[in-house]
Amino acid sequence: MTTFFSDWYYLSIRSIKQIWRPLLALIPSLFIPIFFFLVNSASLSSFARVPGFPANVSYRDFIAPIALFSAVFFSSGNAGIELVQDISNGYFKKLIIMPIHRLTIILGKLTEVAVHAVFQGMIVLVLLMAVGVRIHSGFFGLLAIFALLILFSMGWSCVSMIFALRTQNARLVQSMFVIVFPFLYLTTSQAPKNLLPGTFAAIATYNPVTYVIEGVRALVLTDFSNPSVYKGFLIAGAMFFVMISITLASFQKAVK
Amino acid sequence: MPEPIISVKNLKKTYPGGTEAVRGVSFEVAPGEFFGFLGPNGAGKTTTINMLVNLVKRTSGEIIIDGLTLEKNAREIYQRVGFAMQEVGLDETATAREMLQLHGRLYHLPPERIEQQVAKLLKLVELEKVADRYTHTYSGGMRRRFDLALSLIHEPKILFLDEPTQGLDPHARQLIWNHLRQLNAAGMTIFLTTHFMEEAEALCQRVAIMDKGLIVAEGTVEELVTQHQAKNLEDVFLKTTGSTLGEEDVIANAVDPYARSRM
Repeated sequence: MTTFFSDWYYLSIRSIKQIWRPLLALIPSLFIPIFFFLVNSASLSSFARVPGFPANVSYRDFIAPIALFSAVFFSSGNAGIELVQDISNGYFKKLIIMPIHRLTIILGKLTEVAVHAVFQGMIVLVLLMAVGVRIHSGFFGLLAIFALLILFSMGWSCVSMIFALRTQNARLVQSMFVIVFPFLYLTTSQAPKNLLPGTFAAIATYNPVTYVIEGVRALVLTDFSNPSVYKGFLIAGAMFFVMISITLASFQKAVK
Repeated sequence: MPEPIISVKNLKKTYPGGTEAVRGVSFEVAPGEFFGFLGPNGAGKTTTINMLVNLVKRTSGEIIIDGLTLEKNAREIYQRVGFAMQEVGLDETATAREMLQLHGRLYHLPPERIEQQVAKLLKLVELEKVADRYTHTYSGGMRRRFDLALSLIHEPKILFLDEPTQGLDPHARQLIWNHLRQLNAAGMTIFLTTHFMEEAEALCQRVAIMDKGLIVAEGTVEELVTQHQAKNLEDVFLKTTGSTLGEEDVIANAVDPYARSRM
């Protein structure tokens, strides 16, 4: 058991180092959310005056959680890309014939995703606070936001890892990046559900990402009494459980 | 023969789709022996070596490594064997030193031992000066040498090598041969697959020649030459595996200056 934790630790450190190697690779996943936040909060600010928009909430504050959320959303696919690189260059084989607990290969990747989520989230949070966004749920709300982001990003990273393990094709895993967009934008990320057109609102209702976004938004704009917080945790937790189960099954199949 | 350190009995591998890569192979390797596993491309050498280290699941047969079976003692076996594969898989985002340290930790060596091994192996493969460079900056020869160092980090009792000098220039090949001789002289059992006959003649105490999934000849080079009334090991190889080389071998020899010099 002791070696299980040391294997996990060392493989996590190896994966975490990959976050900033190369350093420039960090830029896109930070640039995209910050760019959209700055552009949308400036160009669509009058949207907050549309009847049906939440009272006393600026459009900037409304979309601030999206900047936080998408910072981790865009980066969580890296785990799969790194995994498929290991598979395609043969390094994965080296790992599976070591006297380690094989599960720690995946756990190391998930730890990297969690650290990356905190790192990216912190940078975006500092920027949001610099432009005046406040976290209404306070310090514990902030911790809850990061817990939700970590839970979601680990679950979402499993999608790319499943593709990596099942297809073992680097190009396919890299192209998975595009599925972030429908999952992110067919939600209430840009407008409350009551202002969305019917079909769009229906899709958003069935998109699990909607509930995680609403959970983060509730913690930014309100407090723990908002039921969206708990729904967010429930959906993110369920997503994590389902996705990690499929990932581990795919992993077992890949190393058989 | 002393108690074998590798014992393989009636090993078979049939891939999904029906391709019989290995069709009932049996052999033994003594402790401290340098054993060559020869054969043309597609003979089943890589499948066999991959089954020995559990990278490919066998269809049937028995494998005993140092008295242990893969079914019950896979992790103990991994601790005792090193494997330098045909494809040099390195972590491109790490330096050579970092990779050696990580592997030392994953083999659960004590920290002071890791540092000793890292220094010793970097010196052995002559990569001390570039140890802190990312591995993606290495040439093909440097990568092969480093891969050999990685497979030795935990001082394995048995070293499996799958075509370790493929694609290397004569200088790099000689360098690796010298390292392998030193390791074998120090008592390490080495199991080498190759389709370079000179390599087998220069290094191996005993060889097995495989063709179409079966072992077609086994013994010392001298025994095989006598037995097949051949001029040398290459002649034995051609007599036992057919007189024509596979298409891939022709290409490999055509681009390999070392191979060309002997054609």
